[in-house]
Amino acid sequence: MKNFREGINKLIAAAEEFSQNFNLSKFIRKRWMNIFVALSILFAALYPNFVSDTWLTIGATFFIFALVALSQDIVLGRAGVYDMGHAIYFGMGAYIFAIATNAWGLNFFAAATLASFAPVIFAMLLSAPVIHLRGDYFLVVSIALNIIFVQALNNNIFEITGGPNGIFGIYPETWLGIDFTKPKFVYYYAFIVVLIVVKLMHNFDNSRYGRAVCYIYQDELAALSMGINPNLIKLLSFAFSAVLAGFAGVLYTLEYGAVAPEIFKVDQSIIFFAIVIVGGQGSLAGVLLGTFVMFVLPELFRGFAQVRYLVFGLAMVVFMILRPNGLIPTKYGFYPKKLFKLKGD
Amino acid sequence: MIFLQQLINGLTYGSLLGFIALGYTMVYGVLKLINFAHGDVVTLSAFLSITFIPLMGYLGSLATAVIILLVMTCICIAAAVLERFAYRPLRSAPRLSLIVSALGAGMVIQNAIMLIWGANPKVFPSELIPQTIYHYGDLSVNSLSIVILVLNVIVMISLIFFIHKTRSGIAIKALSIDYSTAQLMGVNINRTITLVFVIGGAIGALGGILIGASYNTVPFNMGFEYGIKAFIAAILGGIGSIPGAMFGGILLGLVSTFSAGYISTVWADTFAYALLIILLIFRPNGIFGEISVHKV
Repeated sequence: MKNFREGINKLIAAAEEFSQNFNLSKFIRKRWMNIFVALSILFAALYPNFVSDTWLTIGATFFIFALVALSQDIVLGRAGVYDMGHAIYFGMGAYIFAIATNAWGLNFFAAATLASFAPVIFAMLLSAPVIHLRGDYFLVVSIALNIIFVQALNNNIFEITGGPNGIFGIYPETWLGIDFTKPKFVYYYAFIVVLIVVKLMHNFDNSRYGRAVCYIYQDELAALSMGINPNLIKLLSFAFSAVLAGFAGVLYTLEYGAVAPEIFKVDQSIIFFAIVIVGGQGSLAGVLLGTFVMFVLPELFRGFAQVRYLVFGLAMVVFMILRPNGLIPTKYGFYPKKLFKLKGD
Repeated sequence: MIFLQQLINGLTYGSLLGFIALGYTMVYGVLKLINFAHGDVVTLSAFLSITFIPLMGYLGSLATAVIILLVMTCICIAAAVLERFAYRPLRSAPRLSLIVSALGAGMVIQNAIMLIWGANPKVFPSELIPQTIYHYGDLSVNSLSIVILVLNVIVMISLIFFIHKTRSGIAIKALSIDYSTAQLMGVNINRTITLVFVIGGAIGALGGILIGASYNTVPFNMGFEYGIKAFIAAILGGIGSIPGAMFGGILLGLVSTFSAGYISTVWADTFAYALLIILLIFRPNGIFGEISVHKV
């Protein structure tokens, strides 16, 4: 028994040592970074040509979820607001697009614009009164808002959300012969949007506003003394993030042709939350890897549907124990490079 | 009459939430962690008692007490194991990792329950706690409601006594005020935190059994909803405060029941959650919470 315990302890120590010394971010960031990125983009671009329809859907959903996770990362990973109700903005985008297409008969572009920007107004209105709450209090409020949102959808609010069944058969009119709901079109659309958003967020990190966001995350009081209004910046990050989540909702509706309250429950928000933390807060590569680990890997085990979520939960615990800062943590990614040099590395 | 009936229902439901909220508030007081797995631990207790109830025939007159103690012991062990494997390795990690670990642990317990007892809601046998319904005109009072209310008061008073008067209780209090100073004063941190989880688990187990007995069916995924409501109750009362958890639970129970009874059933949850948001806007530390100053 004693030997067994010693063996286990040695094993844990070895695993911890490995996980501490093996710096994945450095490994990727160094010379292999560019090659790896180029290869992934090439793979993703060719992917629809050699997979079945099921896997094409999984691919498209991966990009849609990655988009939501990236938008969640702005609020959670960068601004440091514990938001566990991100499915609200995702769902709002999806529902507004569905309603605008089916009930109001708008064309694709008008509906998509409305569905991306309406969540911004809701995000500002919903979070403005509670943005000053710290940490866990905001977390609970966001969960509460999400439950209220799903209940409103279920109760067929304003007689337009279709109750528990949701809205089916959402087919926007074709434009110049483009069928917006064709699986391959949705895949490439989502893929290109994710590429653009990754580039945008990379620029965002190096912008004046992006730095303000990360100062708030590091030390809110210090940021306040530097003349940054933390609550305003947090609200703006909510707005930026709601556009992306709303647009992801549009893509989701295009992909599946239906929306239902079930999809936008707190459980979904928890998955987005977990993606960001497991992947690594504030790290673009981390969030993409997190989406892969938390969404695509479970799809591989669909055959074991019963055990799937058990393993999923276990994986969340184990990942956190072995890599508490996420799979690809951003150690210095938060700071602009010149600041990093000033620190005397 | 309807008012009185709703009042009794609300008090019962609120007390049940209070039992669960105590586990949240104690763990939060010490670790500053929302123990998302607690709701599922409570569910586990209801399912364990369903499994143990057939043993009642062999136990004679003390059967109910023995079964409840047995379930509470199992849940204490489960809570200690949960703390040891999901939370202790992460004690120095960032807070968000701890939250994800808690969510993952909750998912594991919930799905383990589903795999063991099946995905359909289970019927909770009524022989564990005998119930009689008294009628006063239109008003009907279940004896179980009285048991729940009395137990609620007993648990709250004995817990307050435990925290303020015993060595271990004072250690818990010290730990929640200042972690490192408590350690310097010779408080065994690991043992004390395990103790907090064990006490929270035991009271939660009692809550889980009473939930099963009052609602007759238990679905495997009830943990999250009860958990989040109980945590909201703990926040309403002021997190970290033991009477706060109980009163927060009763307040939330009353609001849910009255809004369901007088306004609308389908919007009942919305009123309960809106209450939380409004309260947090105007009184961010809860009803009984102390005002905390954010220091540099």
